Amino acid sequence: MRQRWVSVLICAAVSAAATTACGSGGASQTQDGKTELTIATFNEFGYEELFKEYEAAHPDIKITQRKTGQGQPHHQNLFTKLGAGSGLADIEGVEEGYLSQVMSKSGQFNDLKEIGPQIEGDRWLKWKTEAITTKDGKLIGYGTDIGPLAMCYRKDLFQQAGLPSDPEGVKALFATWDSYFAAGDQFIAKVPGVAWFDSAAQVFNAMHNQHEVGYYDKSDKLVVDTNPAIKADWTAVTAAVAKGQSARLAAFSNEWNTGFKLGKFATKTCPSWMLGVVETQAGPENKGKWAVTDAFPNGGGNWGGSYLTVPKQSKNAKKAAELAAWLTAPEQQIKAFKAKGTFPSQVKALDAPELLEQTNAYFGDVKAGALFATQAKKVKAAQYKGPADGQIQETVFSPALQSVEQGKNADEAWKTAVEGAQKAAK
Amino acid sequence: MTAVLPKVDRGREQEPRPRPPRRYRWTRLDTKVSPYLFVAPFFVLFGAIGLFPLLYTAYVSLFDWEVGADDPAFIGLDNYRTLFEDDQFWNALFNTFSIFLLSSAPQIVVAVLIAALLNENLRARTGWRMGVLLPYVASLVALTIIFGNLFGPQYGLVNDVLTALGFGPVDWQASTFGSHVAIASMVNWRWTGYNALIVLAAMQAIPREVHEAALVDGAGPLRRFFSITLPMLKPTLIFVIVTSTIGGLQIFTEPKLFEPSGGSGGGAEHQYQTVVLYLYQSAFQGLDLGYASSIAWVLFLIVIAVAGLNFWITRRAVK
Amino acid sequence: MINRRPSFLVYGLLGAFVLGSAFPFYWSYLVASRDNSVLTGDFTLIPGGNFWTNATRVFDTIPFWKALGNSFIVSGTVTLSVVLLSALAGFAFAKLRFRGRGVLFLFVVVTLAVPTQLGIIPLYMAMAEFGWAGELEAVIVPNLVTAFGVFWMRQYLVDAVPDELVEAARMDGCSLWRTFWHVALPAARPAAAMLGVFTFMQSWNDFLWPLVVLNADNPTIQVALEKLQSGYYVDYSLVLAGTTLATVPVLIIFLVLGRQIVAGVMQGAVKG
Repeated sequence: MRQRWVSVLICAAVSAAATTACGSGGASQTQDGKTELTIATFNEFGYEELFKEYEAAHPDIKITQRKTGQGQPHHQNLFTKLGAGSGLADIEGVEEGYLSQVMSKSGQFNDLKEIGPQIEGDRWLKWKTEAITTKDGKLIGYGTDIGPLAMCYRKDLFQQAGLPSDPEGVKALFATWDSYFAAGDQFIAKVPGVAWFDSAAQVFNAMHNQHEVGYYDKSDKLVVDTNPAIKADWTAVTAAVAKGQSARLAAFSNEWNTGFKLGKFATKTCPSWMLGVVETQAGPENKGKWAVTDAFPNGGGNWGGSYLTVPKQSKNAKKAAELAAWLTAPEQQIKAFKAKGTFPSQVKALDAPELLEQTNAYFGDVKAGALFATQAKKVKAAQYKGPADGQIQETVFSPALQSVEQGKNADEAWKTAVEGAQKAAK
Repeated sequence: MTAVLPKVDRGREQEPRPRPPRRYRWTRLDTKVSPYLFVAPFFVLFGAIGLFPLLYTAYVSLFDWEVGADDPAFIGLDNYRTLFEDDQFWNALFNTFSIFLLSSAPQIVVAVLIAALLNENLRARTGWRMGVLLPYVASLVALTIIFGNLFGPQYGLVNDVLTALGFGPVDWQASTFGSHVAIASMVNWRWTGYNALIVLAAMQAIPREVHEAALVDGAGPLRRFFSITLPMLKPTLIFVIVTSTIGGLQIFTEPKLFEPSGGSGGGAEHQYQTVVLYLYQSAFQGLDLGYASSIAWVLFLIVIAVAGLNFWITRRAVK
Repeated sequence: MINRRPSFLVYGLLGAFVLGSAFPFYWSYLVASRDNSVLTGDFTLIPGGNFWTNATRVFDTIPFWKALGNSFIVSGTVTLSVVLLSALAGFAFAKLRFRGRGVLFLFVVVTLAVPTQLGIIPLYMAMAEFGWAGELEAVIVPNLVTAFGVFWMRQYLVDAVPDELVEAARMDGCSLWRTFWHVALPAARPAAAMLGVFTFMQSWNDFLWPLVVLNADNPTIQVALEKLQSGYYVDYSLVLAGTTLATVPVLIIFLVLGRQIVAGVMQGAVKG
């Protein structure tokens, strides 16, 4: 111990700047000669029991999980160590929201087609794999879970507004975005003090992700100001805001939580994992009021879900890829679903009886598993995401929409958003 | 006296004594070397661990350097050029100064007031003094949740009170001034008690006789406070101001935590994005390490300039 | 006359201030002893009965005691070292004459102005280079002495120790080290106490750097507590139960040492 201190002090004194003289290198071998694989996850991937299973089947492998509670610090950690050039785990979880940032650094990650085991091409939903395949065809991550979108709505408030309220009857309202906003007009006219949706950005992002071309075209050219679909969505959403359809509650804020409890909005774009959020935030006193239906305006959509990647920093890339491939196989992902409710992205897992039979008591015993499996298959294709795509959504368009909700003129906000996107894309 | 001593020293040295006493040699060595040994830990540690990040940041700021990029392009001072034309940067600079002023000015006034109260002949004075220092020990997680609840634009407690009093509610996140007030109140909550104790220490250093003399002259408590206590606190107050300038211009935690779900944008239109928050956003959301580094360096120079100005004023004020 | 007891107004104002200062502690306990509903409208000031249930969940979810131990090791070491080394350097800058003193002190002041948020990437590179990534050293060593500490102690010692006292000690044949130890350090006690509390809390609450540089199985308490916020929604009663539990030991230290700190402030004033 003391000797290490001394050597370190000498090192420190001699080389303030980085030289490779004192590096100890990655210790990837445990003392009993096993290969140690580290895997960094956030939230709940539901893999704890699976690790034990894998270790039992592979006595030469020891798995260490580095678990972060929330996605934001996990990804900051990821980017810090990408920048520093060392310290990443052998397997790093990446959330869909950070995908464009990771894809723009795809050179730092291993091509799993090259180093991973042979996997049949249709293990995952097509759009899930497309999203993590680079333009030159490299696959840099295996899909874990997804967040297929459905619509959640308040049955009691729909009744109050004279709208249909059974899961079949509401489907017509949720057929297209036009019908959705039209129903919103009807609703707010009948139920004063309650808005139609929680916040503009939540609706806009869902609309936006349905288009084949988003903020960028496939040659990485920014098309924010020339893609008519974006402006059309913007106009539709800001018009709805002007009419009072938005509750103006930024997602995941304190106020948003309170809005659930007080019942301040009647519909919510609902990925599979959102059911738990609604249940916690709306609380037991609102049980039976919320419902979910397998319809979503203009088809389907996805929000959330993750991938497992193997950074080039890994010293055991091949073995790490093997583990990642095993974890993301349908059989394992179903177990993770049972453990923590992560909705699988694997085609076969979507037909598993465990999934199809799953019900949700808070939402009136609806067959949630089957419902979201239906929604997952409705997603057409993954929109191509350019280098600053995630940043444009999170730091430019969502705030710009919020500023409209706070009273800014929609045309001015549009100008700000376009300029902001150009700056972010730079 | 001091001017004479060295000469004596030298005279002794030239005396043809075969061996100066060991203790004396030791003392000379001690005088020469010890000061450097005393300050060495700071400089060695800073050299080994602090200097590298600083120089690295300067180096990176000259490149179009994305986090994890393979071979960043050298672009000279382009990042700085962009920065000076960047409205968001100037906006962040304005916000930083605004929040700083809103937090430091009332804070010092209240700190002096609290210190004056603590300086009274209280029962259980230790208890009171510890009481004002409590915010120091509070966890940031708890604070974030509490202030989020207090200043919620639609359902927050502060707005409930304002509405009950007949004032309209304030959108604490949309309004520039409102958000600055809310964030400044977070800062004030954390730091006022601490500054009060520093001022208290200085107050207690004022010799009792000065007060008693004024008392004999018939000065009332208010007059004594303004014409004796306050002037004698000046050096301490200036110290408090200088340190809080350096800290205040680097304010990060409070605006970052003000709306945790909102990322690092500091409001829909960056109403309360400070310079360090912008730096953080550029680095870890934009992954533009080069640009973030240039922000870091410009901020660094601004803080030095402002602190230098403070120092200059300090000197003039004290002399 | 100066010694008469103050009026109720004084107690009232101070009482309000202290109540405001203490409120978040009570409030954290309040939420921890109930559930999320306190945060969304059902405001109340009466604690519920769930605190121990929530506390048990905290112990089951994270390695609480190990993390607590780590935090004590880290914050304790850092505090001791910052106070001692800062006092030492501060004493030299305040009271000793040596070539380059002005420039070196200016350097200290300038480093105060360095924004640290970006430093985490190069600092991680340095720590990885030294082989400390994942070890407690990585959290301790970069914080062993701070520019703020040196600046703070220097400012205090300039006035607190009369030059004549240092001279006298030298005349008596005291080495500089003994002068520091027997003259400067005792005089610096109030400032050292404040610096100690400040440093300890700073280190105790530090989150991002330990999260990045430590391994998940060897966390500090703040890093461990973050795991309570796992999932798409946050169970605040669980989070605040953990926060409250982690604050209790600090509060105890504060209550025990608080006397010393405050006494230090007073003592310094008497001497100053």
